[in-house]
Amino acid sequence: MRVGILAGGLALGIVAYRTQVDNVLVETNARALAQVVSGWAFLVAGLVAWSRRPSNRMGPLMVACCFALLARQLRYAHDEATFTTFFVFGEIGYALVAQTVLAYPSGIVRDRLEVLFVRVSYTVVIAFPVAILLFYDGTRPLRNFYAGPRKDYLGVFNGGQVALTLQDVYAVTAYGVLASIFIVLIVRKLARAAPRSRRIMAPLILAAVLAAMRAVFDSVLTFSSRPPAIVADNLFWWQIAALTALPIALLIGLLRARLAQGSVGDLVVRLERAPANEIRDELAEALGDPTLDVALWLPDRREFVDEKGRPVALPEDGPERAVTKLEHEGEPLAALVHDPGLREEPEVLAGATAAARLALENARLQAELLAQLAKVKESRSRLVAAADEERRRIERNLHDGLQQRLVAIALDARSAQRRLGRDADPEVARVLDGLADETQIAVRELRELAHGIHPAILTEGGLAAALASLASRAPVPVRLHTINERFAAEIEAAAYFVAAEALTNVAKHAQANGATLSARHENSTLMVEVGDDGVGGASPDRGSGLRGLIDRVEAHGGRVRIESEPGEGTRVIGEIPCGS
Amino acid sequence: MTSVLIVDDHPAFRASARRLLERDGFRVVGEADDGASGIELARKLDPDLILLDVVLPDTTGFDVAEELRSERSEVVLVSSRTSADLGPRLDVTSALGFIPKEELTSEAVRALLDTGG
Repeated sequence: MRVGILAGGLALGIVAYRTQVDNVLVETNARALAQVVSGWAFLVAGLVAWSRRPSNRMGPLMVACCFALLARQLRYAHDEATFTTFFVFGEIGYALVAQTVLAYPSGIVRDRLEVLFVRVSYTVVIAFPVAILLFYDGTRPLRNFYAGPRKDYLGVFNGGQVALTLQDVYAVTAYGVLASIFIVLIVRKLARAAPRSRRIMAPLILAAVLAAMRAVFDSVLTFSSRPPAIVADNLFWWQIAALTALPIALLIGLLRARLAQGSVGDLVVRLERAPANEIRDELAEALGDPTLDVALWLPDRREFVDEKGRPVALPEDGPERAVTKLEHEGEPLAALVHDPGLREEPEVLAGATAAARLALENARLQAELLAQLAKVKESRSRLVAAADEERRRIERNLHDGLQQRLVAIALDARSAQRRLGRDADPEVARVLDGLADETQIAVRELRELAHGIHPAILTEGGLAAALASLASRAPVPVRLHTINERFAAEIEAAAYFVAAEALTNVAKHAQANGATLSARHENSTLMVEVGDDGVGGASPDRGSGLRGLIDRVEAHGGRVRIESEPGEGTRVIGEIPCGS
Repeated sequence: MTSVLIVDDHPAFRASARRLLERDGFRVVGEADDGASGIELARKLDPDLILLDVVLPDTTGFDVAEELRSERSEVVLVSSRTSADLGPRLDVTSALGFIPKEELTSEAVRALLDTGG
């Protein structure tokens, strides 16, 4: 079919050329040929676009432009039927060019204003010629029809001057008002285009320039009875150059998008090697859209997440951002949030998403794993915090309950001793004595027990006081550097237990002469460090104490470093994220 | 006779301490179960001695002692926690001294009063 179209277009070109040369006095052969060539430019560009991107309507539109522009030249024929037909329908070519430009790059005019503009244009370019011919009596030549008057089938009214006036009004409407609106619409289209689309919008600028030149050219021809030859000539040739360049520019724009599709082939290879966190970058590059975002669907959680498993909210699919959802066996797989301009290139998008499908499936599994890991970490942190809270509660209950009762019993035993005085039964006095002493011991033991469950000083005095207390109770001299800042209870507890365990190890294993204990707040992290000058060689594998405190600190997203070369002392450094 | 105000949130301790002190010649003129009412009663009753728990439901004994620094009453802090548990504030408090609750005796209180007086 395309060969037929090509042959038809070429033949129509030849007819158009002959019609001009035979019927237009001022038209040189070169001018006539140039007009035909600009029409053929639309034909060739349209056919190439049609074959390279069959699903895109730009190709057929450009081919239609060719036929309409060439057919326009037939209006100069003196034959009544040909003149009437092509005077009435000849101007459709310009409306079609405007539609093609506004439809670029998808081939469909979607914007409401642009659709309205195209409809008005078609109406104007048909209604005016019909009106002109209704009043044209065939006695005088029409404007731009220098080779004498023509006969037409539509002449109803006897008003030659009215026809010429209507021609002027038409020139103002079509080439003044509509061309200006067309330029405004192009500027609007360029301004609203997302970054990716803007790259292939250059043909629109050319179209705007063309419209401007066409408007000036026709104004000069219409309103200047004798335009200087150099002005008319220059305007004609520049206009023809722009009209010829326009389909070529449109084709290049379309093929650039097609070339991007070519890079999709490489995408498969690159994605095979890319880790999950680079899939977005690879896709963004292949699609030429730096704003691209990838969201992965987690079926268990029924939500989209990023490659690290963090929930993401998809934007509305609209003029600002476009959302393309990918499915796998009827289930959502992922969503691409991209430049709306990519909607105009569905083949490119489809190619890229097909290439990325396997990689996205892998990334989703990884994101799922990371999300589960994050949940485990969160629950571990919650468990430790809950355990700490429970320990605090038990310590407080022991202090407020049992300990107070024992204290009261101890005091009452002492009161009873005093009340009995010296005359008391020695046995009763001995029992009371024992009761008072034993109760005192019970209070102390209970206090030790409570301290082991949760050090009260952490609650009462904070980390600085608690560390000072640890330092003062250590069997070796401890140099203390700490900060008077309060942190969340579980953070203080983690830091305290790092220091307590490390100092216990200093006492038990280090054979040290002295130790240092410091706490500082650095980059949202509470750093607690215990150092000694002992024998070194400590390892978390040797006992459950260090291992336990590593677990506790890691549960809060922190870590414990142990530097302990034999003979070089030991440094235990706890780093606990503290959020501010 | 030395007048005493007992500030402690544990009724059992207040009752036992009252019995112990009154047996040995102190006159317990009032009891309070938190810091705010302790301060109010101290100002109203003007006791010679305030037996003040360190851990109170609404504040700490340290803060109450600080609040009452300008009053005539002497303050003795008590707690069922050890001095190690209470930390460095014990070293800088305006109170006369500290007695672990289970070691509270009239002698211990008098010894502190004598030292302070």
